[in-house]
This record gives sequence, structure tokens and C-alpha cells, in this order.
Amino acid sequence: MNQQNNRFISGNRRVREDRRFVVGKGKFVADIDIPDMAHVALVAAQYPAAKILNIDPTAALAMEGVVAVLTGDELAAAVNPLMNGLDTPNVKRFPLAVGQNRYAGEWVAAVVAETRALAEDAAEKVVVDVERLAFITDAEAALEPSSPPCHPEHGSNLLLDRTFDWGPVEEDFARSEEKLSLRVTWGRNSTVPIETFGVICKWDPWSEILDVWASIQMPKYADQIARSLKIPGNAVRVHYDVDVGGSYGVKRGIKHTVLCGYLARKLGRPIRLIEDRLENMRAGDAHGPERIFDIDVAFDRDGTVRSMKIRALDNAGAYAGRAPFQLGKPIGAIVGPYQIASVQYRAMSVTTNKTVQEAVRGFGQSPTNYAIETMMDRVADHLGMDRIELRRRNFIRYDQFPYEIPSGSSYDSGDYHTVVDKVLAQANYEDIVAERDRLRAEGLCAGIGIAACLEPSGGNSSFEPLLNENNRTSTWMEGSRVNIDALGEVTVAIHTTSSGQGHETLAATVVGEVLGIDPDRIRVIRPDSLGSLPGNSPVGSRMAIMLGGAAAGAARNLRKQIVAIASHAMGIDPSVARYEDGAVLAPDGRSVGWDEVVDIAHRRFHDLPPDTNPGLTASFIQQVPTGVALPKDGRVQMYPCYSFEFHVVLLSFDPVLARPEIRRYVIGHDCGTVINPHIVKGMTLGGIAHGIGAALLEEFVYDGEGQLMTQSFLDYLMPSSHEVPEVEIVHHCTPSPLTEFGQKGSGESGYLGAPAAISGAIHDAVRPWGVQLDKLPIRMSAVSDAIAAAQEKGNLPNDH
Amino acid sequence: MKPAPFSYVRPSSLAEACDALASDPDARVIAGGQTLVPMLAMRLARPTLLVDVTAIADLVGIQETEAGIEIGAATRQAHALVSDLIRTQVPLLSKALPNVGHPPTRARGTVGGSIAHGDPSAEIALAATVLNATIHYRDGDEDLEFQPDEYFIGPTLTAAPPSGCLTKVVFPKRPEGRVGAGFQEIASRRSDYAFASAGGQVVLDQAGTCVAALLGIGSVGDVPVAIDVGGLVGTRLDDGQIAEAVAAALEGLEVVDDLHATASYRKRAAARLAFLALVEARDDARAGGAAA
Repeated sequence: MNQQNNRFISGNRRVREDRRFVVGKGKFVADIDIPDMAHVALVAAQYPAAKILNIDPTAALAMEGVVAVLTGDELAAAVNPLMNGLDTPNVKRFPLAVGQNRYAGEWVAAVVAETRALAEDAAEKVVVDVERLAFITDAEAALEPSSPPCHPEHGSNLLLDRTFDWGPVEEDFARSEEKLSLRVTWGRNSTVPIETFGVICKWDPWSEILDVWASIQMPKYADQIARSLKIPGNAVRVHYDVDVGGSYGVKRGIKHTVLCGYLARKLGRPIRLIEDRLENMRAGDAHGPERIFDIDVAFDRDGTVRSMKIRALDNAGAYAGRAPFQLGKPIGAIVGPYQIASVQYRAMSVTTNKTVQEAVRGFGQSPTNYAIETMMDRVADHLGMDRIELRRRNFIRYDQFPYEIPSGSSYDSGDYHTVVDKVLAQANYEDIVAERDRLRAEGLCAGIGIAACLEPSGGNSSFEPLLNENNRTSTWMEGSRVNIDALGEVTVAIHTTSSGQGHETLAATVVGEVLGIDPDRIRVIRPDSLGSLPGNSPVGSRMAIMLGGAAAGAARNLRKQIVAIASHAMGIDPSVARYEDGAVLAPDGRSVGWDEVVDIAHRRFHDLPPDTNPGLTASFIQQVPTGVALPKDGRVQMYPCYSFEFHVVLLSFDPVLARPEIRRYVIGHDCGTVINPHIVKGMTLGGIAHGIGAALLEEFVYDGEGQLMTQSFLDYLMPSSHEVPEVEIVHHCTPSPLTEFGQKGSGESGYLGAPAAISGAIHDAVRPWGVQLDKLPIRMSAVSDAIAAAQEKGNLPNDH
Repeated sequence: MKPAPFSYVRPSSLAEACDALASDPDARVIAGGQTLVPMLAMRLARPTLLVDVTAIADLVGIQETEAGIEIGAATRQAHALVSDLIRTQVPLLSKALPNVGHPPTRARGTVGGSIAHGDPSAEIALAATVLNATIHYRDGDEDLEFQPDEYFIGPTLTAAPPSGCLTKVVFPKRPEGRVGAGFQEIASRRSDYAFASAGGQVVLDQAGTCVAALLGIGSVGDVPVAIDVGGLVGTRLDDGQIAEAVAAALEGLEVVDDLHATASYRKRAAARLAFLALVEARDDARAGGAAA
């Protein structure tokens, strides 16, 4: 976990945030009480697509305690449409449906009342007259030009169709000895935080500032609010000292905030909207990718995989949002950890009458990894080759880094073979195989799953200019500021909210490391957005690299100031001075201590070196490492750092009942230098639990009427503590050459490979029947039905 | 997810509860609230009056009477789970109870609430069906009794009188002989609503021959159903005999289909669980059963 002689980094140190959460003293949006607050409830669309003929609020407005009813027409006349990442200007989106609604549950009107309960009572009284329109929920059908368009002005349901050819694909296919094709489908699932989205907006007309407290994890949040509300950027003040009760991508909240910001200004009262679970699951930012992969793969009989053609068709739901970019991010690791020489990638995104897809942990990487790993299993199966051996044969070797993949990204570092060796040794792989065979002999279905994959980290937004030429963004920075006050204490400012990632621990640890002082003495604060340095919030598995880099950079600047002040006091050249644990030492043994430097900096201007500002403060704004260029010829450097994970899972089930029991779960994990081992462990374990859900349980399903069937935890099934097994983590550390301490990202670890590994284990278990289950989640009844069907056809298990 | 407005009373006597229920056609009994409260929150249920029966002392408790083992309707599932009387006298119910929800829901959920809700996957309802327990109601001044096969009509639909209040469920006492019970269910997560469930009870004579066999299947259809496996009487309950009896008995089983489990899956799972439940019951009886 730590290859350098770090003092605090990688240490077994407490996660400082845990204390307040464990005792229930976090401060979440729902804990914030603003006097005179009014509450919002939403009127939801009944049908998947309908023209809105009339909205009659009379009965609702007549109820005592009801303040206002807002319609989409009124709102759209006053605000700009929400930001759309693609160049599809006729796919307009507002917080409330305008003219027609495009999915069942979409917000048609907002009711404001003295309490949330009253607002819900009144929402039932709003009468919405509609005329039903044709709708579509299937992505393949949405590709048909004759399909009913979600946005008639746009002309079709196609949002994006880009084909990239990286390398000599056709030649490699022609040269290869073997080919096979497969189709796999990633079901619509998500991350489901325990806290739904919530926001409070308060407009002060005398200072002309909109104060916002929100449960967000959203880049450019304040900018987007200001743009949509048509107010200056410095009129939006987002309070970052709000704890966020889970996110992993889905706490976007733009439409909620624009809605509440408008209402706060219009009504002159603080406005609160806290989604209930129903609003969250059917019309919040709750849904993640839903994707069909068609893959052709070309390979040789020795197991060398030469080329792939991937078509990824994403069902974006009713609006564009940022969803299509989730097809772009995986381009940065499109060959996984393998030396695949050429790739064709066709990225397609369509609108359908489903809830809008938003960002989810990995931003499209986990579905892509599932597709690539299933492909590797099929190739091994086709060649009769061991699945691990096939992977080893294709892995990029340690001595090949930095390694540029066909799509233009350079992988920073890795040692995949060693991680696999370590896992197999520490997990006693032979024992796992023996245990599988023993379970099979008992009449159970038993299988081993294997997955190797990458976690691109240090998020930039290179996929934006790659998929939209009008987007010229290459900057994706993060800032931090460190102060030493007049009493000598250190305070670090971070400029974002956190949703469980432990950024306060991260910032204190790296600043403590650079300054050589105990991180527990360092205070971490979160100024509001108007007092903040620029940043892009914790997305793209980036904060260990980006906030870690920013805080360390600021601390380094501060250390330079300390050395300069102390050197001046000792009359030596700073270049010969040595900084150690807060003191500055001269070569002759003299030293100036921390308190002395603080005293000079804060009180004795006459002792400062010339042209030195008083006080001790430093800022650093970190740009994403390697982020220097826009895409060229469809190739781009995506994220800078690449963590690696290798999963081995053993599961078994009764062939009729088919409920998988995970008996062993071992993951090898290499995210470079670990800053706090408890945080990384928590991410990995949670990621595997999340992956179990994606593989076996979780899906937002629509029925034939376009209605969401899984609107609550009764039907949207997440793994509980009963379903999540003990996980054994095997660590390895290949430092990144691109970051301050060699750290890489780990916010998506576990999740990026678990679905592939579990699917692989189930396939290994049903291999005797020749069954293939090509869609996640793999439900128990699907496994059992497939086995029964195979048995009826006379396919008997042959190697039991 | 705030309930529509409603009134609430918490009477301390059964007579007051019945008066309240008779006073409003849209009144509903609430006990543990583990199912009803979420339904209220999602506005799927919209009673105008809730009559909370948990303060009625007569409705709480487990006792042995001439008629059998009486469980008061407002007795918490958690209390039933640790009852020695149930463990020794109603071993099948004892085996079913750990599958009811989770510890926190059992702490509030009641035995009567589970019966009255009429969910086809309710474990207590299945045990009552297998053992042919008697379900007692008070409606105004009138006492009514139902047997499970006439009481459970459809999914969350029962023959209960609209203004009636469930008072107790009376399970038959443990039969003579070596009694064994088995309870099996399958769901995608532990203690979820089951896709299929099976409860079985067998009685062996001293020689090990089956003298009585009961089976019921829950979760797969509209209501829990008792299945006739009388053909096992007189056998030694070998695995093969059980398998054969189960296969024959479940031939016409009606099953439903939904997102989480297909009808074909439910049908096979029911047969598998029925087999496992009867094997468990047999082994339990051979081992001496849940001997008193």
C-alpha cells in the first residue's frame, strides 16, 4: 500500500469523519432548519407520454396552507433550459414537463405548502388534463426511424451515433485465426443512496444572493443553477458544509435546485424539496446506464486477442443530460488491462420514455468491463483454455508502462501479472477449485468467476470534447487552500461537498505529510462556493489524485514560505535549508522553529524577507495530470491513472431453487499508494456489495404500459448484509508516476469488476448444461428456468 | 410519502374497538403496522380511521386451552418466536416464525396482523393453513370463526367481516406420537417475500411408520393452500416416497408469474421445497421431534 517512507500516508489512522456519523451528528440537508420555510411536493405524470392540455390548480390552491402551484409553462418562460452536454439543441429539458411529459412519473407541476404533508395532499388535487401519445421504452425499437420520438422537434430518438476506428481493425480481423460474437445487456440499475436528494433555496433580495444547501455531488453545480435562473454566477452561494448521505453519481440535483431557486425568488420564502423515495426512484436522478453490447472479437488459437468491434447502445431515457457521456468515459480503458491492438467502437444513445439516465459510479465503466470480461470468458471457452491463463497471456506487462492503448489514452503504471499471482497464492486457488468440485459432487451447481479490470481515475472530462466538437473543455481542476493562523494552527479548505469519501481525512493526511505535523491537529473546513477556489467535485474517482494533489501542492507552497522566512532569519540561502517537522534547519546546526516562523509571518513584518506577503497562506489549483490536449482524430488521453483489480469468486446454488450463495470472494487491488487504508477498504467492500446488486438483484424495470414496476425497495432489490459475503482483499502497490505520492483512485473499486466476476461464476456453474444468461441482473428464476429448459432438451450435465 | 389524513383511536377494550370499527365504513385495524404503514405512506391504503388494537390486553398473549393453543391477535411475532408453548405444541409455526420478516419487523409485527393482511407469502398464514387453525373474529356483539381454506380468498383478500376485529388464532395442539415439522422457503434475499414456501408436518408411530402427513404451499398462488399428501400414511417416508407423493399432489398447483420469479420457476421451486420440508419433518420426527 505504501512504497515510500511516508509518515502518515497509508497509516492505520482513524477516518476523522466517522465520529460524527457514528454518533448521528452529521449535518444533512434535512437537519437544516430555516425560519419560514415552505415545502414542495410534485405532481407526477401518469402516462409515459402525454400532451398536457390543461393544469387546473384551483382545488389545490383552495386548501388551507397551500402557498402556490407552479406549472412547467410558467417555469420555462422564466428560466433557461437545463444544460445539455451533447449538441442536440432541440432536446430541451426543464425541471417540470413543458407541453408534454416524456416518462411516467415526470414532474408536471410543483405544489408549495406550509408542510410537506399538506403539499402532498394538495398535489393530489391538481387536475391535469392530458392526451396520451405513443411511447417507446425499448432502445432497439427507438433506433427505428418510425419510432415515436420523445422529442418531436429533434426528429428522431437518436442522440448520439459515433463510430471510432482505432488501429487496423479490419486487417487484424482478417489476420486472426478465430472470431466469435456475443451480445450482453447491462440492466438499468443504479446507486441508491439511503438519503434521497434534498435542497433548500433561500433568496435574499437585499443582498441579491441565492443561498443553497443541497445534497449534491455535481460538477459546476453553482454555474448551472445561475445560468438556468439567469442570475449572475456570484449570486449563487452553495454551502458545502452539508453532509451528503451517499451518492456515487446520482446526487445531481440541478432540476430540483432550479425549481426551488425559482420558487424562492418568486415567493420570497425559503423553499425546501426533499424527495421521498417514490419521487427519487421514478423521477429523481436515480437511474444509471442501461446498455446493450454487441461484440465481435478476433483472436488466435494461442489465446492472443487481436481486435474487437463493440457496438454499445445506451438507453438514455427521456432527456439527454450527461448520460451519453457515460459511453465516452470507457473509451479511456476500452481494451481493459489487455494488449488488444485495434478496436472499433460504435457508441449509440437513444431517447426513450423512461426516467432520465444519470451518472453512476464508474460512469459507464462497469458495464463496459462486464462486456469485455464476458468476452474474455467466451474466448477462453471457445479455445478450451483456462480463463486465468487467457487473461495472463493478454495482460499488458509491467515493463510496457506507460502503455498507450489504441484509443489514445496512456496507462500510467501497473503490474497485473503480479497481482494475479498474489491473489492465487494468498487465496489458495487450488483449494477454491477443489471446493467447487466438491460442491458439484454434492449435486449443487458451483462455479468460479474471474474478472480483471481497470479503474480509470483522476477524472477529467475529455469525453465531452470527444463526443461533442463544440465542447472545448480540457480544464478539470481542483483547488485547495492551507492557512497557518497567528497561533500556529493549520487549517485546510476544501471546496466541495462529500458523500462519504472521507475528503477531510484525505486533505488532513496529505497536508500533515507535507508539513510534517500530526494530521489530527489540522482543521479542515468547507467554505461556501463564493469563497471557494475552482473545482469539479468528487467525480471520476479523482479526489485522492486531485484534492490530494491540490492540498499537497498548497502545503508545499506553504513549506516554501516557511523555509524562506526562516532562512532569512538565519541569514542563509533557502536552497541550503532543510525543513523537518515544522522546523527549518541550517547546515551549521542552527534552526528556526514553527512558533518563530509564525510570529515573524503574522507579527514582525520587519523580519520578513523583502517582497514577502505577511501571514502564512497558500493555494494550489491542480489540473488533471496529462490533461494537456483536446482530442485529435477521435483519440484522446482520458483519465491519467489506472487502478487494477482482480476478482475471484466461488458460488454455488441448488439447480432448482438457484439462489446463489457466495462462498469465497477474493479481490486483488492495486490503487497505487493508499492514503487511508480504511477508506479504500470501505470503498472496495461497498463496491463489491454494489456489484452483487447489479449482477443479481437490482433493476429499474418498466412494464408494457411504460410504467416503472420497481418504484420502492419492495421491488428494487438491493443486497442486504445477508447477501454480502466476507471479502478477502489482497493489496498490491504500483505507484503512479503522475501523482504526488503515487496514489491512484479507488472510489469505484470492487464495483467495476464484481458484476463480471459474479456473472462468470454463474456461467461456470451452469456450463454443464450449456446455458448462457446474457443479461444482468441474472435472476434466480432465469437460472433455474434455463437449466430446466436445457434438461428438457436432454442436455444433461456431463462433467458433474 | 406522507399518508392521506386519517383519524386514530387506541381503545383499551375489544368492545370499544368494535364500536369504532362499526362507526366508519372506511375504518381499519392497525396492530404492528409493518405492512399497513408503508401502504399508508404510499397512499395505497386510505382509511379514514385507524383503530389501534395493541392496547387491548385481551388480544395479547399465548395460552393453552381445551380448544388448542390460542394466540391473541395483537401478540407480537417476536414474542411468539420465543414462546415455549408454541415451540413444544405448534412446532410447525415455531419453524415458520424465524422466516417472518426481520428482527426489527417482528418486534412490532403481530401474529393477527399477518393473518388478517392475507398476503399469500405470509409464513404464519401458511402454518395456519397446514394445521387448519381456527381464526376468531368479533363483529359487534357477534363471535365468528373461520377455517383458513374459507378465510383466505385472494391476495390480501380475506372473508373477514368489514367491521370485524380479529381476536385470536387457535392452533390445534400437538398430536400424539412422534411429531416432526419442516418449513422451507425461497426468496432472492433472506426474509424477503418468498417466491415459494412449504410447510410440512408428519407423525410417526413407534415403528417409524407415518400415521399422519400434512403439507401446505404458500407464496406461489393467490392464497396459501393445504395439499393432500394422505397417501404417505402407512409408508416409511423414504425420500422416493416423499418425492412421488409431492409430485402427484402438486400437479394442479396454481401459480402466478411476476417480475422476480416466473410461474415455471415457482412451480418447480414449490415442489422442491415441499420435498425438502417433508424430509425435514420426517428427520425431525425420527430424531424425536420437538418433544414436549
